[in-house]
Amino acid sequence: MDALAHDPVEDAAPGKARPPLDLELIDIRKRYGDFTAVDGVSLKVSKGQFVCLLGPSGCGKTTTLRCIAGLEEPDDGEILIGGKEATKDPPWQRDIAMMFQDFALFPHMTVAKQVGFGLEMLRRPKAEIARRVQHILKSFEIAVLADRKPASLSGGQRQRVALARAMITEPRILLLDEPIGALDYSLRETVMLELKLLQQRTGISFIWVTHDQNEAFSLGDLVVVMNHARIEQQGPPEEILQRPATAFVAGFVQGNNVFRGRVKELLAGALRIETPVGTFLVPRPLAAPPPMLGSEVSFSVRAEQITDAVFERHVNRLSAVCTAVEYFGAVRRHVFERSDGEVLKYDQFGAHAARIVPGLRLVLGWPAEAAVLHAGVGG
Amino acid sequence: MSTIRIRSPASYWLAVPAAAWMLGVVVVPIVLLVWVSFWGGRAFSMASPLTFDNYARFFANQTYLKLALSTIVHTATLMAVTGVLGYCIAYFLVMKVKSPGWRLALFLAFIVPFWTSTLIRAIAWVPFLGVNGVINQTLMYVGATQSPIEAFLYSRAGITMAQVSLYTMLAAGPVVYMLNAIAPQLREAAMTLKATPFVVFRRIVFPLTLPGVVIGQVLVFLNVMSDFATVATIGGNKHALLSNLVLLFYEGSQIRAASVVAVLLMLCMLVGVVVALRVVDIRRLGADR
Amino acid sequence: MIGWPKIGWKGRLGLTGWILGIITLVFLSYQWLPIFTLGLLSFSGPTGGTTFPMNGASFHWYQELWRATVMNDFKPPLLRSTLLAFACSATTIVLSVMAAQAMRGQFRGNGWFFYLMLLGIMAPGILVGFGFAIMMRLMGVELSWDTTTFLVQVSWTLPFGFLTMLAVFNRFDKRVEEAALTLGASRLTAFRRITLPLVLPGVIGAGLFGFSLSYDEYARSMFTTGPDATLPLAIMAQLDRQLTPEIYAVGTTTTFFSLIAIMLFTFAFWAMRRSTSLRKASSA
Repeated sequence: MDALAHDPVEDAAPGKARPPLDLELIDIRKRYGDFTAVDGVSLKVSKGQFVCLLGPSGCGKTTTLRCIAGLEEPDDGEILIGGKEATKDPPWQRDIAMMFQDFALFPHMTVAKQVGFGLEMLRRPKAEIARRVQHILKSFEIAVLADRKPASLSGGQRQRVALARAMITEPRILLLDEPIGALDYSLRETVMLELKLLQQRTGISFIWVTHDQNEAFSLGDLVVVMNHARIEQQGPPEEILQRPATAFVAGFVQGNNVFRGRVKELLAGALRIETPVGTFLVPRPLAAPPPMLGSEVSFSVRAEQITDAVFERHVNRLSAVCTAVEYFGAVRRHVFERSDGEVLKYDQFGAHAARIVPGLRLVLGWPAEAAVLHAGVGG
Repeated sequence: MSTIRIRSPASYWLAVPAAAWMLGVVVVPIVLLVWVSFWGGRAFSMASPLTFDNYARFFANQTYLKLALSTIVHTATLMAVTGVLGYCIAYFLVMKVKSPGWRLALFLAFIVPFWTSTLIRAIAWVPFLGVNGVINQTLMYVGATQSPIEAFLYSRAGITMAQVSLYTMLAAGPVVYMLNAIAPQLREAAMTLKATPFVVFRRIVFPLTLPGVVIGQVLVFLNVMSDFATVATIGGNKHALLSNLVLLFYEGSQIRAASVVAVLLMLCMLVGVVVALRVVDIRRLGADR
Repeated sequence: MIGWPKIGWKGRLGLTGWILGIITLVFLSYQWLPIFTLGLLSFSGPTGGTTFPMNGASFHWYQELWRATVMNDFKPPLLRSTLLAFACSATTIVLSVMAAQAMRGQFRGNGWFFYLMLLGIMAPGILVGFGFAIMMRLMGVELSWDTTTFLVQVSWTLPFGFLTMLAVFNRFDKRVEEAALTLGASRLTAFRRITLPLVLPGVIGAGLFGFSLSYDEYARSMFTTGPDATLPLAIMAQLDRQLTPEIYAVGTTTTFFSLIAIMLFTFAFWAMRRSTSLRKASSA
């Protein structure tokens, strides 16, 4: 019964019924022969939420999206759109619209004709269709393209047409399958911002599938990280970045250092974990039952939490050799090699002068609170 | 850069043998036919005066005109039947058969007969259609009729049946090609835009395959109009179409009459192809109505 | 919800699939049954007529074919057809490779050239044969299977070979030619050593067209063979006289030969493609 985002207006009015979730997935499963593409995926999307499904290729995010659209039929599980059961409904009966990776524009129709297509299917009168097409073309700034065919349009223009075509039917949910992957790099930032503002303005829930973290974290209210047909973690971007729940998530998102080891000692509110490169103090949540002594666990430390100016409070220390230094403007990343051969990343504020050079061996440390223990299945 | 320089003399000269062959063996004879069709006088010589008499004689003859008309009707029937059948088969092969192994097998099963002689395949219909033929024997065995139906062999229906089996794949082939070219996302996009499957077909798939349909129809048209062998074999001497008329006149040494029919046949085919090319071109740039 | 068979909307659409599938399979048998019947009937007993019942099974009609009298001796026509087919095949290969390579050079007027080639496919056989025969008559040239028929048959097979080579060259990656040229090969050498081996499957395809189209050709040949008939013409002549199961035997035999020829060509084609195609690295 938990909503992932609060609508203050609704909550403020006492006794008012809670608004239905735009989308609810209950334990969706989809198999192709021997291969399980989606394995027990459950998700709740509140009204007007921007959700990003993030993960590597083959993790099941696109299949999940297609199940929501109705283009694939799940073997098990239920799909509720706007509170209504839609699991067995075909795509044309669902309150959704979809944007495809290569836009899938109809090559034989003019822009105006295809943007109006969805309304034609809804049997709206011709005058209304013409009016609404005009309106949406103007608001997307493509009115001048109304009589052109897709073949004569640029990538950016096609993307707008695809968007207009989908949005004109005012769906409850818009599904986007890697929508900006086909655009030039320079265009992507602009388009991302436009789409974010569009989503906020219209209040339609967006479900955006991508393998690009930058997209997911900058756009999503809710980020769902998937791997091997399962959801590894879902939550707001800060939660995923600062408190990764599994070793996979920690390794997948940028800027985390992952450690694997065994529980050596159980303390109040902390664990002492023994790893090949040393023994470290890691806080543990008191609410959860403690892991068994000797069991395998993993934890991660963000690269910017590490320091080379080691003081008393930096109880966790290890020695490593610097192999490379990368400068990104805002951040200077030092890449170290740990004694177990793994990579350790140490980020410093870019404005500070460079001190560390490749070849240097240093002792690096971090405070106990900086480490995040991973719950759940390790990567 | 490649093994041939763009616009070099070499590229021009490489084309000359083939061009000369086609010009000499196809273009000149056809032009000659047109010329001969205007020859007057009695002698068969290049010095003959030119006249419209031969054409006048043809058009004055009711039998010939009826023949021309029935040729056109017959061809139109074939085009319609092969068009619909061919589209169904093409759609099934491309859209409904999921496993590539089966698709290849079926495709081969349809294409292989094409590599054998059309003449033999036409002859093969004779034992089927006759009074004692397979069809009649099956019908009587099953009890559908008491006495054999004579209407199969030596009839327009029989010719049509045989030609359907010969030419449907010509109609299906180009459609298969165009159907293959349609990305599945287009149909999916239409479905997410509230279009039911039948509407998806009518508004998206069919318009995009129209060029293939037209090309297929042109191929059938050309083949049926010039097919005299099937008509002769199955129709016996009781039926003739325009193409048979050419042969008839030729065997009767009426060269001028034969060339008149030949020219008319060519004109029909030319008109058909031009009309088809117009339609296809329009469709390529054409609007979804 | 639990327990209901999850048919879903995709299952319910299966009906169209079933209808189309039945149409397809019915048509498949419609196309093949006559050929099978022909084959079957060719094994009729000696008293068998040209349709069922067969009155026993035997090789009688094949023996008749072999022992043929002057009237229905199909052996010389068979020989002529085969020789012609090989000649057409070779000529088609040479001319279509030249013509397709010329097209790559985009010479001026290549659009017209393309339509000229297409004309060979679109012009009906009777008209071309008829016109050519008249032309020969006016020029005083005698009609014979090895000269005039050869000329017209190539006009029919060449466009098919040409289209095949065009398609092959379209898919051809000319960067391998560029590589050869930068390594010091002349244009001719590069063509001979690099291009030709790689387009060999297409060449074999063009050869196949040349062979089978010539072997089965009758409309053009009818007017131009003079006194000696090719196999299809001999069959047609026999049909005019009398329909016997011997015709079925001929038909079956020649179909059989066609299929063997196709299989040989196809096998060569497939073998060529396998040996020259770069194998894709297998992904995980």
